[in-house]
Amino acid sequence: MRVMLLPVTMGVLLLGCWPAGAVDHELAITIYGDDLALVQDHRRIELTGGRQRIEFQNVSARIRPETVSLAASGLTILEQNFDFDLLTPAKLMEKAVGQEVTIVRVNPGTGAETREKALVLATNGGVVMKIGGRIEVLRDDGLPVRVIFDKVPDNLSARPTLSVTVDGARSGAVPATLSYLTPGLGWRADYVALFNEADSRIDVQGWVTLTNSSGTSYEDAQTLLVAGTPAQVSDNPYGMGFRPRPRPTLAQAGTESGSRQRLGDFYLYPLVQRTTIANLQTKQVSFLDVHGVPAEHGYEFRNHWLGTTESAQSARSVYRFSTSAHAGLGDQLPAGILRFYLRDQRGAPQFIGESRIDHTPMGSTLSLATGDAFDVKVQATVEKRTAGGRLKWQTQMRYSLTNALPRPVTVDLLQEGLWGDTRILEESQKSTRRSADVAEWLVAVPANGSSELTAAFESRH
Amino acid sequence: MRMLPRPWLLAAALAPLQANAADVNAGPPTALSVSLYRAGTRAAEALELDRLRGFALVSERRQVRLPAGESRIRFGGVADGIEPASTIITGLPAGVLEKNEDAQLLSPAALVAQMLGREVVLVRTQPRTGVVTRSPGRIRSATDGIVFESTEGIEALRCSGLPETFSFSAATELSATPTLSVLVRSGAPATATITLSYLAHGFDWTADYVAHLSPDGTTMDLGAWVTLANANAVSFPSAQAQVIAGRLDRYADRDVAVPVAKPIIAQCWPRGTTTDVAAASSLANGAPPYRLEQSIGIADVRDMPVAPASIARLVEEEQLGDLKLYRVPQRTTLTSRQIKQVRLLEQAGVPVQLIYGADLVANQDRPWLTAAKTLRTKNDKAHHLGLALPSGRVASFLSRGNTLLLLAQAPLRDIAVGEQFEIGVGESADVQLRSTRGPDAVNRVEIHNARSSALAFELRLRLDPGSQLIAADHPVRTRHGQPVFEVQLPAEGHAIVRYQTGQPRQH
Repeated sequence: MRVMLLPVTMGVLLLGCWPAGAVDHELAITIYGDDLALVQDHRRIELTGGRQRIEFQNVSARIRPETVSLAASGLTILEQNFDFDLLTPAKLMEKAVGQEVTIVRVNPGTGAETREKALVLATNGGVVMKIGGRIEVLRDDGLPVRVIFDKVPDNLSARPTLSVTVDGARSGAVPATLSYLTPGLGWRADYVALFNEADSRIDVQGWVTLTNSSGTSYEDAQTLLVAGTPAQVSDNPYGMGFRPRPRPTLAQAGTESGSRQRLGDFYLYPLVQRTTIANLQTKQVSFLDVHGVPAEHGYEFRNHWLGTTESAQSARSVYRFSTSAHAGLGDQLPAGILRFYLRDQRGAPQFIGESRIDHTPMGSTLSLATGDAFDVKVQATVEKRTAGGRLKWQTQMRYSLTNALPRPVTVDLLQEGLWGDTRILEESQKSTRRSADVAEWLVAVPANGSSELTAAFESRH
Repeated sequence: MRMLPRPWLLAAALAPLQANAADVNAGPPTALSVSLYRAGTRAAEALELDRLRGFALVSERRQVRLPAGESRIRFGGVADGIEPASTIITGLPAGVLEKNEDAQLLSPAALVAQMLGREVVLVRTQPRTGVVTRSPGRIRSATDGIVFESTEGIEALRCSGLPETFSFSAATELSATPTLSVLVRSGAPATATITLSYLAHGFDWTADYVAHLSPDGTTMDLGAWVTLANANAVSFPSAQAQVIAGRLDRYADRDVAVPVAKPIIAQCWPRGTTTDVAAASSLANGAPPYRLEQSIGIADVRDMPVAPASIARLVEEEQLGDLKLYRVPQRTTLTSRQIKQVRLLEQAGVPVQLIYGADLVANQDRPWLTAAKTLRTKNDKAHHLGLALPSGRVASFLSRGNTLLLLAQAPLRDIAVGEQFEIGVGESADVQLRSTRGPDAVNRVEIHNARSSALAFELRLRLDPGSQLIAADHPVRTRHGQPVFEVQLPAEGHAIVRYQTGQPRQH
């Protein structure tokens, strides 16, 4: 197939994209969602019998060397090395210190070439050479000088290279499996949801998005995607410091099991056909396409503590739907991002925001916020705060809700920060205590109008 | 383990793309539509083309001829900032098997990297004689410089001082721009009209308001421009353009590959010479970044004549769910790396209240403090407004004869219809106040007016939680649960407000 112009003069068995030593190989890649993949490379290797170094050149450039294992019958692994010493002009010259190179001086006037042997003395800042009995700095005069090296030093290679030194019991081809973990390959789900305002239904498409930034292309690989996060040891178990608690997206966890393949508690998404995952490629494969699922659109406002908002704050625009089989998407949803679209007045879909979802079992109810409502705002005000006896405080809250939309809306108003020791003394509308910490009111706001809600709280401090 | 003979496997090893799918190029985009969204985090700073944090939804229609069987449709000329995960393709007769986006661009470095280990021809030219020598060889390494192997031995590219380069013979499958491709399977040959939409970064827009305050300070003329910016290298000719106002949620894509195009870095061995001196300070090299503020946005406004500007066609507002969509009325061309402005609104004679005021934390001593000026009005028909105002910046001007005076630039939040809002118009050094707390726990706020006219002053107190005003010698009203004193300041005079707070108990 390919004619090598130059013979490869290496005393090792090279397994890689070039020069093609063995072509009979099969790649199997299992990709976890959390930027982690297990690569299994099944191939035949030629054993010479005895001690031998096998190089694997097209492994992931971000391979985790400590996870490498080579399984083959009839050989003993002596050592595994991962060499990061890359072949660059500077390294080439550095390794040539103390050795002879050929220099070709080109006369810029005539083009005549003169060849000399030179001994490289040092490469600190500039290259100092010994030519005959003289010491010279390479190209100190700026005139053209070619430097020709006899060979590439043994441990320099074009890309990070994994090498395994083995002791083969016999010679001949044996099947072998190289497996390792690598970051840089990851997947997540991307969902496209088109909401139809007229009949309050959504169409949802799900795509598996596979990204490869591992520095290597994987040819014709059998790919399996695993939904679920395998536990990993983290160097920093306490995370990145304080982060505000995100708004929960799962309103009700489901209890239905679907027909997807499982392994333990992981869901498996095998790609139907073998695929090539090129470096720096993003690949998407469809896994879900559901039309006309009932969905609700509403508004939600959370006041995180019994406090005054600086100015009227927008309520969140929230979409709710189910993933159950009879009135919903009817599937498990692997973690990913759900993008919402809505048709404008000319019928063109426009993007209206996105929400991140976690692995969601079938039968769940999702409540996803897409952004702030321009026209629905809430001003929370502490009217009065008074001490009401020993360690008791009374807080009079007023919530002013405004709606600049030409239709009435209902705002799900949530007062958080009640800590379980706060009770509501009086309120202008009946609340539901969602939990010890949260009280909830469903406040109707007329079209182009406003509503008020007042409540008095008693808390201990 | 399966060891099936696969005759095309070798070919696949040469070309990273699967060899069994026919490559089909989609036709040029038509019926373009670009909807621009703002960066959620940017408050009110000027647009910088190299630092646009907004994004856009691009929709386009393309014709494609599909052969029977598997084919790979390649969409050239999509925006460089494409977020591949967001692409939606409709109109294909057959199912989409997979969508791919290759961020590996055709660049000198990518070409060399692709040719790693393959045969290339090194072309060397004698500068004097012009004699060209072509010697075959192989690229051995392309990290931090290029090492190649020729019949003579190992050499490094462009270290000799001779003009030398590679000549590549093989065709490349790399493309000039990030290329989206779709693998489809079609039962019969078909011609399809595909609608492709995707989100792309490298776009942004701002709303820039200009308020002209009348000399008596009772009305203002409010005008606004929408400034659209495209930092992509792709142009959108004759496109339907929309901007979308309001805040929507985005999540950062942390694992998306960034398109990289690199030059060939012909790094050599250390090339210091005996005459090298330490490099001079490079402070002077950093050119200031291109700032819109100095060129288009505000500069236009400063040069604007006092006479009303020529009438511009306004954008059309429509409701998009809980967001606002502003449509550019005519088709427009958004070219690569361009900033463009369209008129958002033009409202004359908006009644405003000019208010002097200050915010004070209760019970704290405060040395002399300059009063802030705000214009207060309501976004409704009675105030000649009554349209959704997207957040942006307001530059307020006062006319004095034929010249304009810039009062202030202030941010403006999203204002819905019917909302009261304020525009900051700077400070007045002529109105100063200070606060002292006496030993009897009575606070004394002195407000001095050096202006030749009387004015209304608003003193806004911020109380500690749980405390209340228990005594004051001026009328007080409550705003957002906090006391506000309205004080009439005489011309060239002063006023003193006394107040006391306490923590009342209920029994």
